[in-house]
Amino acid sequence: MRGAVSIRGAVKVYDPERSQVVALDGLDLDIAPGEFCAVVGPSGCGKTTLLNAIAGFDTLTSGSITLDGQTIAEPDRSAPPGADRIVVFQNGALFPWRSVLWNVTCGPVMQKRMGRAEATERASALLARVGMQGSDDKYPGELSGGQRRRVEIVRALMNDPSVLLLDEPFRALDALTKSVMQEYLTELLVEVPKTVFFITHDLEEAIFLGDKVVALTSRPGRIRQVVPVSLEKPRRHTVLTSPEFLAIKATLSGAIHEEARRAFVYGERELA
Amino acid sequence: MSAAPATSVNARQTVSAGHSRLVALVQGLLGLAAFFLLWWLLVDVYGVWRFRQLPKLTASVREWLSPNPTYGISLYTQEYYKHLFSSIKRVAIAFCLAVSLGILVGVLSGWSRWFRAVVFPLLEVARPIPILAWIPLVLLLAPGRETAVITLTFLAAFFITTLNTMLGIKSIDEVYFRAARSLGFSEWAILRHVVVPGALPYIFVGLQIAMAACWFSLVASEIVSGTAGLGYKIWEAYYYVQFETMTIMMVTLGICGYLSSSLVRRVGNWLMRWRGSMLKGMAR
Amino acid sequence: MALDVLQAAPTAAETKKGLGVRQLFNRHFNLLIGTMSVGGTLLLWQYARALGIPGLAFVDPPTAIIAASADLLQSATFWTACYKSFIRISIGFVLAQLIGIPLGLLMAANRFAFNTVFPITEILRPVPPVAWIPIAIIFWPTREMSTIFIVFLGAFWIVLLNTIGGASTIDPAYRRAALSLGSSRWHLFRYIIFPATLPSIVTGMVVGMGICWEMVVAAEMIAGDTGLGYLLWQSFEINATAQVIVCMIAIGIAGFASSALISRLARLLTPWIAER
Repeated sequence: MRGAVSIRGAVKVYDPERSQVVALDGLDLDIAPGEFCAVVGPSGCGKTTLLNAIAGFDTLTSGSITLDGQTIAEPDRSAPPGADRIVVFQNGALFPWRSVLWNVTCGPVMQKRMGRAEATERASALLARVGMQGSDDKYPGELSGGQRRRVEIVRALMNDPSVLLLDEPFRALDALTKSVMQEYLTELLVEVPKTVFFITHDLEEAIFLGDKVVALTSRPGRIRQVVPVSLEKPRRHTVLTSPEFLAIKATLSGAIHEEARRAFVYGERELA
Repeated sequence: MSAAPATSVNARQTVSAGHSRLVALVQGLLGLAAFFLLWWLLVDVYGVWRFRQLPKLTASVREWLSPNPTYGISLYTQEYYKHLFSSIKRVAIAFCLAVSLGILVGVLSGWSRWFRAVVFPLLEVARPIPILAWIPLVLLLAPGRETAVITLTFLAAFFITTLNTMLGIKSIDEVYFRAARSLGFSEWAILRHVVVPGALPYIFVGLQIAMAACWFSLVASEIVSGTAGLGYKIWEAYYYVQFETMTIMMVTLGICGYLSSSLVRRVGNWLMRWRGSMLKGMAR
Repeated sequence: MALDVLQAAPTAAETKKGLGVRQLFNRHFNLLIGTMSVGGTLLLWQYARALGIPGLAFVDPPTAIIAASADLLQSATFWTACYKSFIRISIGFVLAQLIGIPLGLLMAANRFAFNTVFPITEILRPVPPVAWIPIAIIFWPTREMSTIFIVFLGAFWIVLLNTIGGASTIDPAYRRAALSLGSSRWHLFRYIIFPATLPSIVTGMVVGMGICWEMVVAAEMIAGDTGLGYLLWQSFEINATAQVIVCMIAIGIAGFASSALISRLARLLTPWIAER
């Protein structure tokens, strides 16, 4: 299986108007193929910076990132964004002017990996899997927030990426929809196993979804704690009250809360 | 933009919508009736103050509908349609040219920073000059009067379309470009599937204004330099004290302006069907 | 994904190396290329006759324009024209605000007023204001008044529509919040409706000022006896191309300055709107 991500000594310094802001400060992280790595940390701790560096939207100041042994980022250079590292964005990026089916099939069709018919067939299967059958011709604007997220995750999976980069995809959803979406995601990943890099503010979400939870320090971003989660998969929401789950939560929540307080003092500004 | 309160408001609105629409219609007719009554009383009947000199309502309507108009312009005469169609032709040519060229320049400017850096300052230098102030220069430079009128009509729409296209491209959320790049879109596909549809809402706002500007600029150019057309005829009618003809031509201009801008709106709504679905979800 | 496909990211790279030539170029890219673009166009224009460029060859070159503007700037005619146009614009513009804003607020607040008046505006508005020039001349006793009326009409529609638009899209939550705080009707208007409509009103002002200049030029050109538009037309009639262009530039500058003034005023009136 593909999708081994290795981050070595990642440093990112933003320099707007010569006031140096260190977003990442020597971060090392390895994600095994097929592993679900959930990253938790307060706002502005450099989570998104890290994701952007992997995705190819931004560069590192020093350090390197490799994907399956190939360098995708080194100081001031990065491989252009591509379908091997698909991102699901915080506020969603379905093209509102195209139908659900077009959105979902555009990736493989544009990359000429599938014909339109084949892509449509595969898309229908995946959409049905997340309970979105019969919405092919709708526009994203006609869907609810949760439905849009499901379509967007299907769109990402259609590209068969080596690593799936999820940038707080459920942030804008209400708590109940969020819990349903989390279950859909775990089920989908059982069917289509992928390496996942998942960013969140929500510790419970991170533990529920992750094979490993990485807690970052508030700015500058460093690794504070890495906790493996060995709960059986696919998980149901009943796991949230199990003793194992609560034990993991207990080990992490102190650190997370402390970092959040530190971030609060700076003001919770996000970096680009 | 929350969905829940919007539905309850909508439900209440639909219950009373039929009733309030009827009321609005009646009151609207009342308003129009008052307007025409006032015109009739002030001008036709009493001739108060300088209103006496304005074109009379009854005479204008009679003239417009007469098969044998006093001044040669009515719904039944060839000359009326000659002027009407020469104006429509000019607007159509100028508008189409301005739209195609304006969108092209706008998209290229949003596309390449070199193109933008070269073209944008020139546009910015030329733009503060009112379109109508271009009239003498264009008259000097254009080979014929017809070309001059079309050029002036074109200029009015061109600046607006170009700037709105540029604004439209700037308004597109960066995230769509990122998504497109991740999904392996070619540059051409990004242009076709992200840039153009994303900028369309702004482009169409621009086109609506551009259409109005076209008629505006057309009338001014026809007045000072035309040989035919609605604007030309308005001025000629003024000159020969044929005030009823003036009214007819003004009303005709109003109808043309209204129809053309509603055509642009319709085409826009059709091209942006995806927005209809989005607006439905918004509180309004 | 091999290393050779890695793409350079110049902006980030240069921040470390200090001010290089490349960075200076990138930072002032727009200014640099823009100046070259405008300068190049002026040069082309200057030597249009020698180069045989169609159209431009008939226009006096920039040097002649500068000479003509020096002449014109010293003449009293020019400054009188500026003054006349300025007065007309000011009166017409202010009248449009004084009538358009209250009417718009009334129409937004009162269903009956809206339902009766709006259809009338709908049938009058599509008629281009320029087409009103003959009527204005017939109706108003003096040319001055008809010109001011045309300027007024140009700005009036946009002011009215923006006021109605702004006042009718106020978030009902503000209204409810105010009512629950025990606001009277006057307070509701003074502290909620009016300020919430203000951004839209000032947008209308900025656009309206642009149209005012169009209208004053049209009215003076077609039916005036003084003013910048009239001077422009006179220059054209005596075939003084250089003077035509000087007038155009003067009108452009005046229009730009008045728009800038209105924008400044707009920022003062609505300090809570971050970017315009």
